[in-house]
Amino acid sequence: MKRILLACSAGMSTSLLVSKMKEAAEARGIETEIWAVAQDKAPSEMEKADVLLIGPQMRFMKKKFAVTAEEVGIPLDVIDPVSYGRVDGEAVLNKALELIGE
Amino acid sequence: MNKFMEMLENVLLPIADKLNNNRYLTALRNGFMVALPLIIFGSIFVVIANLPFLDKLIGEDAYATYQSTLGPASAATLSIMGLFVIIGIGYKLVEYYKGESIYGGVVAIASFLILTPQTIDYVTSGGATEAVGGVIPTSVLGAQGMFLGIFTAFISAELYRYFTEKNLTIKMPAGVPDAVARSFSALIPITLTLSIFLVVRILFSYTSFETVQNFIYTLIQAPLTELGSGLPATIIAVLLIQLFWFFGLHGQIIVNSVFDPIWYALNDENLAAFQAGTELPNVVTKQFIDTFIVGIGGSGMTLAVIIGIFLIGKSRQLKELGKLGAPAGIFNVNEPIIFGLPIIMNPLVLIPWLVAPVVVAIVTYFAMSTGMVPRPAGVIVPWTTPALLSGFIATGGKIAGAVMQLVNIGIVFLIWWPFLKIMDKQYYENENRDSESKAS
Repeated sequence: MKRILLACSAGMSTSLLVSKMKEAAEARGIETEIWAVAQDKAPSEMEKADVLLIGPQMRFMKKKFAVTAEEVGIPLDVIDPVSYGRVDGEAVLNKALELIGE
Repeated sequence: MNKFMEMLENVLLPIADKLNNNRYLTALRNGFMVALPLIIFGSIFVVIANLPFLDKLIGEDAYATYQSTLGPASAATLSIMGLFVIIGIGYKLVEYYKGESIYGGVVAIASFLILTPQTIDYVTSGGATEAVGGVIPTSVLGAQGMFLGIFTAFISAELYRYFTEKNLTIKMPAGVPDAVARSFSALIPITLTLSIFLVVRILFSYTSFETVQNFIYTLIQAPLTELGSGLPATIIAVLLIQLFWFFGLHGQIIVNSVFDPIWYALNDENLAAFQAGTELPNVVTKQFIDTFIVGIGGSGMTLAVIIGIFLIGKSRQLKELGKLGAPAGIFNVNEPIIFGLPIIMNPLVLIPWLVAPVVVAIVTYFAMSTGMVPRPAGVIVPWTTPALLSGFIATGGKIAGAVMQLVNIGIVFLIWWPFLKIMDKQYYENENRDSESKAS
């Protein structure tokens, strides 16, 4: 089970991406749990996740999240703007899996 | 151009980082977030209590009863919103320090109430003024007390943390239940914090301001809101939001954390007037920005861009983007358009992106200040409310509010149109070239 956490300002635009990523994962038969949260919820949700992906418009939060991510021991990165704009579930899923290291 | 953009981004990114990660601004933003559901609840009931034409329909007397029955809904939420913001800020700030956050909330509220006047001047039927004690005037728990509330919450939470970290706590022997021990551990920090505020209150009672409330209101809040209600400050705020977004940074999160206290205070002044049935004092308010500048598809009013794509788009890329962006765009979520068109770092759309919201702000400002369109009534509309509906609600149930939004969509469309046309042509030619090269 791969647990992927997405974060943006209110968790709205990333939730668009969540459904696309779930579709992509299902098509490839990968068992995942993918969910999106608002930025202030992200630190507490990180404990439950294997990886954190941040919406590109919130990339200035990376430094702050990195502190918690290190405590919890999970990787994090900012989603590439092009994939974000295209709501490209496949590409973002690949990125997440790559960060988890599989 | 690229060098220049790189330079600008290098300036903006650290600003965004500083503003967003500043613990006080974060606590402020999250504090407002705590209050938001309550404010929205109250707003909905203000609109219901003031439905247009209802007084003609059911008669004046029945209408008055109807209004007073619904009154407590907004009195318990909107009119005392300052309290929730204060609790929220105190809570979130102490939470940031990983302290006992609930005490951060209550110590903030108590500190604020210590500074608050607890008598009101009551005018008797004979015309004499009589001071009535044992009351807390709700007028200072809403907009008027907002700034003092914010400062008090910051300072009280900091003091509470300071005294807690100094270990000025009572240690309980082992075996005492955890909850009991915790309530004692907060005793000394809270006592010291509140005592300081009590001293401040007493000191101020000897000045010509009499209360800290008056002092902050006169010296800080009134001048700041005066400035914030003007067109120049509004245009600067709108431009900053757009500029941040152009570099792919969430402009509103960044700019609003500074402007929200001002916009909410202006909002509340309008609400009080709306409920009293008097003239609305402000044009620029939280809703002026949220409903008439941003809430038409999201930052930059991209609903008009989506409509433009459907009307003139020939390229597959734009048409696909339109389909992808429209459902979310109706609810004012526009990241697909911002990152997909793309708007970010795209010199071609920089002009309409910056100019359109400013023109809309100016047009809306004059339409409202001349009375052609009703001013925002001070009710808070959730930001995901679709355009037209949001304009109707924000003006307290006036069709003209929706018409204003429609006009704004038209303005944005006209400004974007030539640029969208060029972009579409480029994409279209690229697509044709690609398919030709594949065919050959």
